[in-house]
Amino acid sequence: MELKTLAILIPLLPLAGSALVGAIGLRGLKDRSHWLVLAGVTAALFCAVSLFYQVNTELNRGGSETAAAIGAHAQIDPSQQVGYGKLAESFTIYEWIPAGAADWLNVTFRVDPLTIVMLLTVLSVSTMVVMYSVGYMRDHHGHAELGYERFFAFLGLFVFSMCMLVLAGNFLLLYLGWELVGLCSYLLIGFYYQKPSAAAAAKKAFLVNRIGDFGFGLGILLIYLTFNTLDYQEVFNMVANSKMAGDLALSTERITTIALLLFCGAMGKSAQLPLHVWLPDAMEGPTPVSALIHAATMVTAGVYMVARCSVIFAASPIAMWIVGAIGAATALFAATIALTQFDMKRILAYSTLSQLGYMFLGLGVGAFDSAMFHLYTHAFFKACLFLGAGSVMHAMAGEIDIRRFSGLRKAMPITYFTFLISGLALAGVPLLSAFWSKDEIIHAALASSTPWLGWIGLVTAFLTAFYTFRMIFMAFHNEERLPRGVEHAHESGVWMSAPLVLLAIGAVFAGYVGVTTGHGGFLGMFEPHGAFHHFLAPNFSDAKGHEMTVAAAQGVAHGAGEHGSESHWLMWLSSGLAFYGIFNAWYFYTRRPGIPLAIALASGSVYKLFYHKYYVDELYDLVFVRPLRRLGDMCYACDRFVINGILWIIAAIPRAIGFLLRGWQQGAMQGYALGMVVGLVVIMWWVLANA
Amino acid sequence: MANILNWIIFIPLIGAAVVLIAPAKQAKSIAWLTTFLVFIISCLTFGPFLDGSYQAGDYGTMQFESKLPWIQVGGTAAADGSRVGGFNINWHVGLDGLSFPLMILTTLITWLSAWASWNFEHWNVNKGPKGFFALFLILETGVLGTFAALDFFLFYIFWEVMLLPMYFLIGVWGGPRKEYAAIKFFIYTLAGSVLMLIALLAMYFASADAMGGKGTFNLIEYATIPAITEMFNSPTLTFLGWNFGKAMFVMLFIGFMIKVPLFPFHTWLPDAHVEAPTPISMILAGVLLKLGAYGFLRVCYPLFPEAGAQLAWLVATLGVINIIYGAFCCLAQTDFKRLVAYSSISHMGYVVLGCAIMTDVGFQGAMFQMLAHGISSPMCFFLVGVIYDRAHHRDLNRFGGLWLAMPKYGSMATLGFFASLGLPALCGFIGEIWVLLGTFNAPFAWAKTAAVISAFGVVLTAGYILWMIQRVYLGKLREEYAHYPDATARETAILFPMAVLAIFLGILPKYTFNLMNGTIDDMMVFLNPIVTKAVAASSIVMGG
Repeated sequence: MELKTLAILIPLLPLAGSALVGAIGLRGLKDRSHWLVLAGVTAALFCAVSLFYQVNTELNRGGSETAAAIGAHAQIDPSQQVGYGKLAESFTIYEWIPAGAADWLNVTFRVDPLTIVMLLTVLSVSTMVVMYSVGYMRDHHGHAELGYERFFAFLGLFVFSMCMLVLAGNFLLLYLGWELVGLCSYLLIGFYYQKPSAAAAAKKAFLVNRIGDFGFGLGILLIYLTFNTLDYQEVFNMVANSKMAGDLALSTERITTIALLLFCGAMGKSAQLPLHVWLPDAMEGPTPVSALIHAATMVTAGVYMVARCSVIFAASPIAMWIVGAIGAATALFAATIALTQFDMKRILAYSTLSQLGYMFLGLGVGAFDSAMFHLYTHAFFKACLFLGAGSVMHAMAGEIDIRRFSGLRKAMPITYFTFLISGLALAGVPLLSAFWSKDEIIHAALASSTPWLGWIGLVTAFLTAFYTFRMIFMAFHNEERLPRGVEHAHESGVWMSAPLVLLAIGAVFAGYVGVTTGHGGFLGMFEPHGAFHHFLAPNFSDAKGHEMTVAAAQGVAHGAGEHGSESHWLMWLSSGLAFYGIFNAWYFYTRRPGIPLAIALASGSVYKLFYHKYYVDELYDLVFVRPLRRLGDMCYACDRFVINGILWIIAAIPRAIGFLLRGWQQGAMQGYALGMVVGLVVIMWWVLANA
Repeated sequence: MANILNWIIFIPLIGAAVVLIAPAKQAKSIAWLTTFLVFIISCLTFGPFLDGSYQAGDYGTMQFESKLPWIQVGGTAAADGSRVGGFNINWHVGLDGLSFPLMILTTLITWLSAWASWNFEHWNVNKGPKGFFALFLILETGVLGTFAALDFFLFYIFWEVMLLPMYFLIGVWGGPRKEYAAIKFFIYTLAGSVLMLIALLAMYFASADAMGGKGTFNLIEYATIPAITEMFNSPTLTFLGWNFGKAMFVMLFIGFMIKVPLFPFHTWLPDAHVEAPTPISMILAGVLLKLGAYGFLRVCYPLFPEAGAQLAWLVATLGVINIIYGAFCCLAQTDFKRLVAYSSISHMGYVVLGCAIMTDVGFQGAMFQMLAHGISSPMCFFLVGVIYDRAHHRDLNRFGGLWLAMPKYGSMATLGFFASLGLPALCGFIGEIWVLLGTFNAPFAWAKTAAVISAFGVVLTAGYILWMIQRVYLGKLREEYAHYPDATARETAILFPMAVLAIFLGILPKYTFNLMNGTIDDMMVFLNPIVTKAVAASSIVMGG
């Protein structure tokens, strides 16, 4: 099929599935509702794979030299272009909004390597999660939960929205997808809306995202103002040539403002400091939702957006520095919180925050491809971890607190092994997927002008290994203990275990598309940067070029993304840290269980700070939520008392005059007679006085 | 075909007469049929707007135009139908890109409201269905006439015609404080009308001076005959010591802003909404508020562009205050209906902001926002009405978990409120983003600040709407609501067209923009140079 047709089918198929379920789910399909959505998402996955081959062919046809040169010379006639230059041109699906008098701002798609990477990641994880949900959204007797069809309809809608976000060829459509995934997230977090905590979490997620989107929207407006277009490629070309609309030079301040405003949106969606508060609460949603939306796909939209706008960000050193610093800060901050939590899903949520922090760290030091690589590997192992947690939750009758159960590894072998493998990947154990991607990011950071970001990354890597295995040892090892009310733990059915196994395979092998084998390097055979990076290279060629120039101007030796042969010490160091973290967790939680408690008691206030998530929620409540509500009350009071008060006074004037005049017309003869006499006297006096 | 517009305006009046003659039992059916008929006939006027032929010609080219001499007194008649001296008042109606979309909106919303009145018997106060539906239909005539009128005198008459039915509809069939609300509504609007009447006469005599005694009430001629526009916008002509253009602009503006309503003249609206029965709230929010903003676009800006450009900062400030202040007031509400009323105030702020900046994008955004709000707010009011019919209270804090009891209704409610929230792919988004885009790009120095502040309104909007949804629809289902029946067939049928339009306008806004862009472009031909001049002048002042 043609590229354009495939690109249209990808979002449309899940939407069709979702719409059908929405229309007839309640009446006809009921607990068979999953089939339509599963079919839609799977078909979309096949389309995406087919699209990948087409894009790959096109890239090879274009040759690397075209790809490298394209950014600066975009004035070539689009129809003449081949390779990346052709892919970078957005194509129109339909006309959406009229821009100005004549031209239209259209629904345009753009299918380039970055899009493909995102599509494949999103759709493969989605397929797994939809499959898993078939088993998960049922009770032990196989009966569908209340709202089963609603769940799948929303899930399909989410996949549609996420595909729109990824396929968008201009900023306005990006914003549309951006808000739609937010809506789906809202609907799915609040899936158990009878639970007040779920309803509150859904609201919080949407609102915090809206705050980020406030900046994001302004950024888009500023882009429109600056470049007079919202098309990706036109904007990127003008940034690359430092041009504004109308041949004015682009100032660094302007580009920094744009980049930072866009980054506001990324902070909201990808839950970076200080807008991270919604993500842990979002775990109120069903676990498949947490795995898909709040770990693997939607929350990475911010990373995708920054990578998409890499040219804009790379043009502003300040913005890059802020992105990197916020990423590093979030990575460390979230990891420290994860050390002290007991809710499995919340630990994973903080771990997601931390890993997203890594991605932004990578983006901030200009390693866009490494950040995308980490996004891609993270999707598999984190989805697997979440689904594993869901499997535990399913077996434990909804209990997820790791203090309430232990020793599950015998009863739930598949869950245990897949969880272990993904946990090893998350911890950064060598040869598993995340090892390659995380190492690249840290390496790029150490080689950049801000090496301290890399050191934060290394510290966080140690913490990551520790908290991951703290959770694993507490939940799966030691003697078997079950929460009250659960007779015996049992392994989940095939609908749930098959995706776990597939994702665990992904967690092991997904990383190998990003390394080159057989040419020396780590362990004598693995060299970072492989086919994955090569595939994405044209997307970031402009940004990298810019980065180089900026770095050169600053006199910094630039090594981001290029591992020298002598630099394998970092790989050894990070593997060492991972193993050391795992060892510590093993020692603390299986050998000497008294130690953690002793540490917690000894470091009272610090532990409390971590445990209470740095009191950020409380702070926001005090500083923002309450004052804004007070302000609302004040406005309403102003309406009722000030404005209506003035109104009352104005209305009282005629009444007062009437009151005064009423005395003159009381209807008694004597009064009128007196009035006549007095009047007569006054007139006579006046006449006589003037005579 | 030529008289189709006259028929559209007067069929409701005929319907009102029939309602009065027919038995009381038939009143609601007759009203339904009449409003539906009007809606269908008004859809027949889509032709020139769909194929774009309405764009041929300059500003003032009208479709379905109909002009008859009406009150011609004093002076002497000239051969060309004009009049030297005396009054020259005509029945003059027509449609262009400004009035047509609003007219369709009116006929649609009125039809749905007539349907929404069908459970008349179940209201607390069950008196006189004949009177209710007759007044209801007279109201429609008033609104349609105001949108279609091209003669300012006729405009004024229709403006007053719709005032009285509304007064009685609220005052007789309303809630506990109906008298207070009705009188407040009446006095407020009447105060505005007085200013409009003064401006009406002053403009007539000024036009007579400009045309050598041939005075006119024609709104199009006011804007297109050079002699009149020069006179209206002349820097030397004064009115009671004020610059004539500015004085007229301000008087008309106040008259219209009460209807919008703009801060600080907005407090009648929440009271009127809370007391009015559901269908009347739907019309009030969906249609009547638009008349004020339509007045800006039809009268204030084309006639007094100089004053408009000079006072743009003031109008924009009021718009921004409306957006933010209205949203904050929403946060403080415990009454469901009052919350929706305040959200109307907030949303209409975008319309005013779009008008203030006087650019094509701004006017398009304002028009679109009017239509979007004209669909989403009646929907929200009806959604409130559905629940009020069952619960007989509107206290947000006493609801909870309604989605569980009423799944169909809950889904519709989510859609309606998200449309109002401005979610992309639904109607509210396009209007808001278009106004913000236009404001951000506007030539005025203060425009960017205004855009940033109003953009923050989007966050507040999400805040109060989501909080409301959480309190009413989510959470534990309270026992007293567990037995509530889901939306009935009638209720679903009323919600359905609005739901479809909310999605249609969000996904394919192009078709709606096409209905009005031609006329707005025509207006820009003479507005743009004036705005540019005013901006240049103000920058010189600031520079000096």
